[in-house]
Amino acid sequence: MEGEAQKATASWESGTLAPVDRLRSVRADSPIPGLVEGTEPGRSLSHYQWDYITDCALILKTAGAGQKSAMFIHAHSFEDLTAEAEEEALRTVDSGRSEEQHEEGLKALVAEQNIDEQHSNDLSDSRTKEEDVSSEAWRSHKKHVFVLSEAGKPIYTRYGTEEALSSTMGVMMALVSFVEAEKNIIRSIHADGCKVVFLTKSPLVLVGVSRTCQSDKEMLRELQYIYYQIVSLLTLTQLNHIFQHKQNYDLRRLLAGSEYLTDNLLIRLERDPGLLLSAVTCLPLASSSRDVVSSSLQAAKSKNLVFSILLAGDRLVTLVRKKDQFLHHIDLHLVFNLVGSSSSFREGEGWTPICLPKFNTAGFFHAHISYLEPASQLCLILVSTDREDFFNMSDCKQKFMERLSKRSAYQALKEAVKCPSYSVAQVGIPELRHFLYKSKSSGLYTSPEFPMVYQSDEEQERLLSLYQELHSCLHHPTRPLRYYYRCRETENLLAQVTSGFELYLCFSPLVTKASAFAAVNKLLKWIRKEEDRLFILSPLTY
Amino acid sequence: MSDKKGPITLKVILIGNSGVGKSSVMNRYVNHRFTNMYRATVGTDFLSKTINIDGDTVTLQIWDTAGTERFQSLGTPLYRGAHCCMLVFDVTSKASFSALDGWRKEFLIQGEPKDPSDFPFIVLGNKTDLSDREVSDKLARQWCEEIRGEYFEGSAKEDLDVEKPFLRAAQRGLQQYKKHTLENTGHFQITCKQPRETRNTCEC
Ligand SMILES: Nc1nc2c(ncn2[C@@H]2O[C@H](COP(=O)(O)OP(=O)(O)OP(=O)(O)O)[C@@H](O)[C@H]2O)c(=O)[nH]1
Ligand SMILES: [Mg+2]
Repeated sequence: MEGEAQKATASWESGTLAPVDRLRSVRADSPIPGLVEGTEPGRSLSHYQWDYITDCALILKTAGAGQKSAMFIHAHSFEDLTAEAEEEALRTVDSGRSEEQHEEGLKALVAEQNIDEQHSNDLSDSRTKEEDVSSEAWRSHKKHVFVLSEAGKPIYTRYGTEEALSSTMGVMMALVSFVEAEKNIIRSIHADGCKVVFLTKSPLVLVGVSRTCQSDKEMLRELQYIYYQIVSLLTLTQLNHIFQHKQNYDLRRLLAGSEYLTDNLLIRLERDPGLLLSAVTCLPLASSSRDVVSSSLQAAKSKNLVFSILLAGDRLVTLVRKKDQFLHHIDLHLVFNLVGSSSSFREGEGWTPICLPKFNTAGFFHAHISYLEPASQLCLILVSTDREDFFNMSDCKQKFMERLSKRSAYQALKEAVKCPSYSVAQVGIPELRHFLYKSKSSGLYTSPEFPMVYQSDEEQERLLSLYQELHSCLHHPTRPLRYYYRCRETENLLAQVTSGFELYLCFSPLVTKASAFAAVNKLLKWIRKEEDRLFILSPLTY
Repeated sequence: MSDKKGPITLKVILIGNSGVGKSSVMNRYVNHRFTNMYRATVGTDFLSKTINIDGDTVTLQIWDTAGTERFQSLGTPLYRGAHCCMLVFDVTSKASFSALDGWRKEFLIQGEPKDPSDFPFIVLGNKTDLSDREVSDKLARQWCEEIRGEYFEGSAKEDLDVEKPFLRAAQRGLQQYKKHTLENTGHFQITCKQPRETRNTCEC
């Protein structure tokens, strides 16, 4: 495995990855009413909406005049919480311009934008996230994520329904457009205990609203993941095509039934250290057994088979790739998310198009997804470039199974799945509670199971957000650090980064700084001793 | 096993709007299970089941497709080589019934069956356990006559008449299979790239 993304070669693009446009045009009339981009409600601005736009203009005016202001936009009014403002509120807004100009600019812009207020109700909302978006409960969620189109149309919200939030999203878009009109980009708004981060990835705009102490950079990274999730469902080519064709398109129609993938990815971002570390973790397995599994998988090849991935839950058992083709960790996490979220029959086989955006945003791969045995955690994903390859992939799986089931390694693998993690006690450092170790060259990380003190979901999320803080400090854009040591009431933390690895350790609060640093060497020694079990040392290619 | 040639493989496709219960019907028929939780099918799910029809052992390859719009724009290579098509709707949703005409046309275009006017369609009205019915038995039968399909209705939830439509699909599929295998003996397929699913690759 390799951390670097690799562009698809020219022959690939022209050869086997069928361009979406062609696929679309091959289709005849649609079986679903409304598939052909059709009936849309009127595009006029309602009075209702003008109120928000004016509110918004007011806020921007204050910021533009360089006053200290803090704000939080919500659906029915805005709050001017002038108390603890940050200097850099709307830092990208050029404060040289006069207030009148700002207001005028905004009006002109809004008129052009033609933000669509009304909503077609043809989308039956099957999600169980009906939540009153004007309630305190909705507002006090730790982290909101919104996705909208450049026309200000809601595409996704983590909490509540998109319909109820269309005005809010309209305002968000107005903010983005307003700043853009000045040839600037809005990055974030820092307000009272709350942070709004924007990511514009034409034709989408992503907005994160957080009450946590996450850095802008961390939030942006999460928004990027959400962006790639959406691209992986549709391809960027299709997204661009749709919005060039119809600026006002309601993308929720195409995403209907897939929202849970985004929901689940957001949960992963809070719980899975792999997404923080840009790495994946492996199932601990004796290297001799892993090698047999890998070579059995390698032997079951097929012309258009590019990646074969064997997973045990969220852990990688092995990955075989075509020579010179690399799988980016983001793409791999998207595959994990797809497998983890889909409840397709364990007895059967699934076949689905998937775009791996870090590999190529233009085309779809086709993934064959099946479990080795109905009750097993072991899931095999075979990624082909050919949409008609289902039976070839099915044969590959069959061949792999025939080979593997004859070997004792299969038994060893099944045993390993039963204890997919290890206890930190194995390391033999009494004060050490937990750690994350990422090997940079392989893009793999290892981590013990959470100890008793961090059993609950809340505690695990808390620990992860502490790691995230350390991560932010080590990777600070202007002042990166090599070490970071922090004492807290509940635990002491140490982080270290070198050219070869990244390490995050969590100790009991009683540990001394000296012994914490001494523990690093001991841990590194232990990892070196265990590495052929914890990592994939000899990845194979076709 | 007495059958030396191995069982005949019949490909049955389930299509229809999202949420009508295609996956539920298949899951009920093959695994005898049902869940109230809705999780839209991603792409296509494939299950097989070996059954006996009028003395022939056949393997039913059931293809449960996604009804959500995202997958419609991607083309549907898997329609080809089908022996029978099951059009599923929800009896409590008029819209899901009206959509069947479009689904059927789409199937005929994408699936390229050899004899479109004679291709077997089974129409299945699901969720008869619910009281707020919008599509009457009569209306459904009327349309079935027009398209020369056969009508069945039942409930995946209550395990009501789920097996019958599949058995009928297998019978009609088998007729289709025999007719075209006999017709085709000695001939080579000239129609463009024939997908591999026409071969009996299933090694179950
Ligand atoms: N009451 C009732 N509910 C049913 C019945 N069959 C399915 N459902 C429910 O209807 C919902 C949708 O069922 P699915 O089988 O997932 O629908 P589908 O046609 O496969 O949908 P897509 O995969 O999106 O195309 C689920 O919540 C099921 O529990 C039924 O016979 N009666
Ligand atoms: Mg389904």
